Amino acid sequence: MHDFQVWLVTTIYKHSPVADLMRTAWAWPIAESLHFLGLCLLVGAIGTFDLRLLGIARKVPIVAVHRFIPWGLAGFAINILTGTLFIFTEPDQYIYNPSFHFKLLFMTIGGLNAATFYLTSYRRIFGPNAPLDAPKRAKVIAAISLCAWIGVITGGRLLTFYRPAPCDGRQTSLLLACQP
Amino acid sequence: MILDPFLAWVESTTLSQWIVGSPSMFAFPGILVLHAIGMGFAVGVSAALDLRILGVAARIPLAEMRRFLPFLWAGFWLNAASGVLLLIGYPTKALTNPVFYLKLTLIAVAMVLLLRISRSAFAAEGITATPDRDLPPRLRTLAIASLVCWAGAITAGRLLAYTYTRLTQLH
Repeated sequence: MHDFQVWLVTTIYKHSPVADLMRTAWAWPIAESLHFLGLCLLVGAIGTFDLRLLGIARKVPIVAVHRFIPWGLAGFAINILTGTLFIFTEPDQYIYNPSFHFKLLFMTIGGLNAATFYLTSYRRIFGPNAPLDAPKRAKVIAAISLCAWIGVITGGRLLTFYRPAPCDGRQTSLLLACQP
Repeated sequence: MILDPFLAWVESTTLSQWIVGSPSMFAFPGILVLHAIGMGFAVGVSAALDLRILGVAARIPLAEMRRFLPFLWAGFWLNAASGVLLLIGYPTKALTNPVFYLKLTLIAVAMVLLLRISRSAFAAEGITATPDRDLPPRLRTLAIASLVCWAGAITAGRLLAYTYTRLTQLH
């Protein structure tokens, strides 16, 4: 993985089409603001749906609350886009940052967790005679989802406190977490 | 600035120096994390309510959206508390920056809008059955204003890192 990380950072630095734009006075702050707006949209939509699965507003059909999900995906898309802008401008500050590694880990958990939900619970929750109370498995998935997205926010907010220092020779972990 | 002696005193307190100076991840970084999570829930749930008023997820009876509001308030109070701690950490940085007052004003307006939206959307008994077309048109205006205020408050908050002129009394 170390070689891949170094290759990724070098390649992005060499070819990034957005670095010059992002280094203008206002581009970075504006992208950050959009990243925070996307975060709110994601938590507001996906978090609300998770809370419904967990039993909040239990008189409301689950399928009705699911209509918020596209707005959560829109927030996620905004954040993938703006997040890519950050990485394409300062790749080393992310690719070698342990906080970013954890952020990606929690994003992966959130994504696989959502996929599990649609693969295992979709028919029971959205089909005819859908119960108002979500099955236990869906509740576990909802709780994992809330935790995963809170983990993503935590990893993102802590990025700046784990800026990679220069490597001093020995680096044995799975991922490179310092500047080679 | 007339507040300088007071700001200097705040910065001299043990709490302020712990928040800013402690190497612990539970100090300044941890407070920032809580502030971001609280924002997600406060603004997120408020935006979900606004979107519902604007016609998204229209099959949710509007009055039932009130069940999610405790999470909005939890986020709000988490951010009030973490915000006060951040302010105690860097009082000069915030209070000498006009953008900080803009952020607080936008949050105050957003909360007033939320209270007016709540009164209008949740108050009347039996409004659960009211079809959307019978909602007061003013409610849609309030929902749009709420979304605009939150977007403004978030942007102002993010810009605080770029627009301050003095960090502490020492600078």
